Amino acid sequence: MAIPNFLYKNNRVLLKELTKTDFKLRYQGSVLGYLWALLRPLMMFAILYIVFAKLLRFGGDIPHYPVYLLTGTTLWSFFTECTGQGIQAIVMRGDLIRKICFPKYIVVVSSTLTAVINLLINLVVVIIFALINGVSPSWTWLLVPVLVLELYTLALGISFLLGAINVKYRDVTSIWDVLTQALFYAVPVIYPISMIASTSTLAAKAILLNPIAQVIQDIRYCLITDQTVTSWSYINNPFLKAIPIIIVVIVLIWGSWYFRKKSKKFAEEI
Amino acid sequence: MKEETPVVISVKNLHKSFRLPTERAGGLKNAIFNRLKGIKGYNTQKVLNGISFDIHKNEFVGIVGRNGSGKSTLLKTLAKIYFPEKGSLEINGTLIPFIELGVGFNPELSGRENIYLNGALLGFSNKEMDAMYDEIVDFAELRPFMDQKLKNFSSGMQVRLAFSIAIRAKGDILLLDEVLAVGDAEFQKKCNDYFAAIKGKQTVILVTHSMANVREFCTRGILIEDGKIKLDSTPDKVADAYEKLWG
Repeated sequence: MAIPNFLYKNNRVLLKELTKTDFKLRYQGSVLGYLWALLRPLMMFAILYIVFAKLLRFGGDIPHYPVYLLTGTTLWSFFTECTGQGIQAIVMRGDLIRKICFPKYIVVVSSTLTAVINLLINLVVVIIFALINGVSPSWTWLLVPVLVLELYTLALGISFLLGAINVKYRDVTSIWDVLTQALFYAVPVIYPISMIASTSTLAAKAILLNPIAQVIQDIRYCLITDQTVTSWSYINNPFLKAIPIIIVVIVLIWGSWYFRKKSKKFAEEI
Repeated sequence: MKEETPVVISVKNLHKSFRLPTERAGGLKNAIFNRLKGIKGYNTQKVLNGISFDIHKNEFVGIVGRNGSGKSTLLKTLAKIYFPEKGSLEINGTLIPFIELGVGFNPELSGRENIYLNGALLGFSNKEMDAMYDEIVDFAELRPFMDQKLKNFSSGMQVRLAFSIAIRAKGDILLLDEVLAVGDAEFQKKCNDYFAAIKGKQTVILVTHSMANVREFCTRGILIEDGKIKLDSTPDKVADAYEKLWG
């Protein structure tokens, strides 16, 4: 059996071909085509902005709150798109897996790469939006790719783990749908963390242990304002500070291990 | 005579069984219920029951047997789609499996894109596909259509394209499941001529129900019944045995 290895040339070719196909077919037949990759998150942002920033006045004293909100929704959309596609990947490509032998992880990675491409396009919009809003560029912007990589690693780990379970128990898709809905409120996308901190510092600290929250806050810190509350500044215990990273690493290792173990039987069980 | 040619596939004591769900064991709910009630929720069916053979270079092997005898499972195990639970499988050389024609074909992509995608799935790089591209298109006789979307191909043209990839892909061993000739009468003749020409020059493993094909193209036949090899002999003897048993 071929050991999963990105350096193996033919696997890279297959990954490229599958990603190209996915991306090409995603907006096939729609008038605006690729533009939807931009429009969808921007529209979601517009709705949240009107409801939470204008009507409910969530922004408070946060500088550049619209950019702050857009950054959050962009990253959140990326996470849900990535995991949503990744978990479905093996089942969706059942026709290939039953007929041909190839490293199965390629299917999962290729389906999540479409979300990565969309994120990159959207980040350009975020940066343009930030500059218009008067955010001044800083060297900390260079740290954003590293943080995006952390979020992608987490999404990939979850996709491997739940995608493998999904082959046998399709319930996973529905459970994950509900879970992401709940997670959305457990992550400071629309509300500023200071709002939680004013009622309970413990709750705010708990929220910041979530790697998704940690990444979103860190990217806001690097990109927009150093007034952002981050896991590093808010949590004092050095061991607790490391928890978000530890979660990401554990999910990735556990996910890939489980996926590899189960992948031998995918062809029979789909 | 056979001792001189190298062994390309060596199968020893291959076992494979499937778990067949007894009732609706799919879904989390049933899995939990079955666990609580202490039922397994599945029956084990033995599909391959100790299969052993060696295939030498340039043999054209016809595998025959009734539906459910384990032929396709054997082929999928050779293609490494299924993992054997017991026994060993050794393959020397690149193996091109065609369990089904046109795997991964996408109707929204052009003919050309589909060739490269299919090639990538079979493990060929774009460069390797560049080298085979012309031969594939020429064999399929579809050059004027290559930039059209596949959905605009007639079904006959689609199988012709898929089939041409199958036989023009540069692999050492070709696995085919019940397809030898596709398309209209003229194209079928072309396929048959092709297989007659490569008989004894390339390693091919063919699963088929057509004893005429076995007699015409194969250099060896293997008859499978209930997951075991019943007869491994010349194509004529195997075809006779098959016809005597179930003809």
